[in-house]
Amino acid sequence: MSTATMNKPAHATGSGVNFARSLHSEWIKFTTLRSTWILLATTIVVMIGIGLLGAWGMGSGMESIRESGQDPAAMGMDESMLYMMATGGIDFGQLIIGALGVLLIASEYSTGMIRSTMTAVPGRLSPLAAKAVVVAAVAAVVGIVSSFATYFLSQPILASYGLDYGLDVENFVQSLLLSGVYLALVALMGLAVGSLLRNSAGGIVTLVALLLVLPIVASILQFDWIQDGVVPYLPSNAGRQMLALEIADGDLTQLQGGLVMAAWTAVLLAAAAVTTKSRDV
Amino acid sequence: MIEAHGLVKVYGKKPAVQGISFTVQPGKVTGFLGPNGAGKSTTMRMIMGLDRPTSGDVKVNGKHYAAHKAPLREVGALLDAKAVHSSRSAYNHLRAMAATHGIPTKRVQEVIDLTGLGAVAKKRVGGFSLGMGQRLGIAAALLGDPQTIILDEPVNGLDPEGVLWVRNLVRSLAAEGRTVFLSSHLMSEMAQTADHLLVIGRGKIIADASMQDFLNGQNLVRSRVRTDNPEALIRALAAHGVSVDTRDAALLEITGVDPRDIARAALEQQVLVYELTPLQASLEEVYMDLTKDEVEYHSQNIDTQPALLEQSGQPALPAELAPAGTTGREGK
Repeated sequence: MSTATMNKPAHATGSGVNFARSLHSEWIKFTTLRSTWILLATTIVVMIGIGLLGAWGMGSGMESIRESGQDPAAMGMDESMLYMMATGGIDFGQLIIGALGVLLIASEYSTGMIRSTMTAVPGRLSPLAAKAVVVAAVAAVVGIVSSFATYFLSQPILASYGLDYGLDVENFVQSLLLSGVYLALVALMGLAVGSLLRNSAGGIVTLVALLLVLPIVASILQFDWIQDGVVPYLPSNAGRQMLALEIADGDLTQLQGGLVMAAWTAVLLAAAAVTTKSRDV
Repeated sequence: MIEAHGLVKVYGKKPAVQGISFTVQPGKVTGFLGPNGAGKSTTMRMIMGLDRPTSGDVKVNGKHYAAHKAPLREVGALLDAKAVHSSRSAYNHLRAMAATHGIPTKRVQEVIDLTGLGAVAKKRVGGFSLGMGQRLGIAAALLGDPQTIILDEPVNGLDPEGVLWVRNLVRSLAAEGRTVFLSSHLMSEMAQTADHLLVIGRGKIIADASMQDFLNGQNLVRSRVRTDNPEALIRALAAHGVSVDTRDAALLEITGVDPRDIARAALEQQVLVYELTPLQASLEEVYMDLTKDEVEYHSQNIDTQPALLEQSGQPALPAELAPAGTTGREGK
């Protein structure tokens, strides 16, 4: 072996680090892990699968009610519930996408990769920001693709019950698109939590607690100030308002809900940025 | 060039590095020695901007590491542990590193070939042996063709061919005028590789000298002497504060005094000397002597039977611990 290939003591040749390059590097890292593809594929399959199962269940349920001579709407099964099935898989999908966000950064700490990352781009915030862009963009695409696929695939099923519907339902397309925004925000929260805790398992548990456990616990506590002042503003509750087709009196609107969830995400990301900058790697 | 000024790092309440200053010059291989826990890796992490110094500062090629526009083209480092995602292939790892600086894929292939990783480059790093992991770390360090190279224990786990390759590599990098800063616990390897030594113990620099000065200057000048009258010679040298090992009736190893002084003492005392050979102290001996009070994690000496020790062909114990016969030791 020789060192013939490196005989010029080359100094910086104007080809240093910039954000686009950092982004390119993070994209390579993201796409060259098998776990990424497994988690993304699982998310899509789970979201579509749950949506289709829901549509089928609703369809057959409504049909049997109608056959028994009753009105499904009177029993609380109206068509707006049917429409919500297009994004019905998001409760499960968010957990997988959130885990992906956590793993993206926490696995770098657990494997030591972070030291390579932070020596290549010593600005520290740049790799975190690049990861955020990558995971948010991918999560958004996954959410939108899954929601539209669920809609189109569920129509033949629903048609057999005469329940198929068009994209012109009020706020429907908006809701399908915003499901991507919801998943992007979940992925960013996962990234922030993973960066704060630097631990995959701890990060995922924390994220599940935040998205799933906290709303359940809060809804059990029957104090008015909790029900009115806390429950609607929890990240997953607020975020789900983005997917709503109609807004009940007193509830957060789609925009308000999205902004509340975005605020949670921004706070977590800011905390992650501060600790990334200040802590030793 | 690496310049550290009053570098301090405290973890919680435990000081890891206690105000060290040093300069690592270009064109030389500088060895960084010290017992476990002495602060070597912490110092290297501070150089690379991974750990923030509690106080003091350290610059590489004239700037703080993080201030460089193209850090990988300035400084390449292999730090102690594997710094690679175990599920990614070596090739993709290097490609991702290269992308941060717009380094072409051609260069990735070059460092893979250079470090002999070709056969395993597309395999997951998690399955690599320690030696293959080290080769990947060295490949990553060389990726940007940097002016300064920092290698923490690069030969750890390498096969003999790999050890020789690293030695030749770092020597040729230094010969090209680059700065090479290298830590290792293998004294024989260090003795063959380094031009200059920096020894750290309990977070303080305890030696900063060229290899030759280091070996000569530690009061470990040693000579082999054959004489008819050892007692008279030892008595004559006692005033010089020497230590003497009696190997057999006529053969002495005298440490701590110049051969010329031995000859003069022999002449004055009219003692017949028929061999006087200066012995070069080994790096290991000098190092052990220097750091014996600085070792943080002492191993217990196993109470071995002397006969057993000889049988097993153990390397000589450090001069200080060697079983001494007639000893005219004073001073020190």
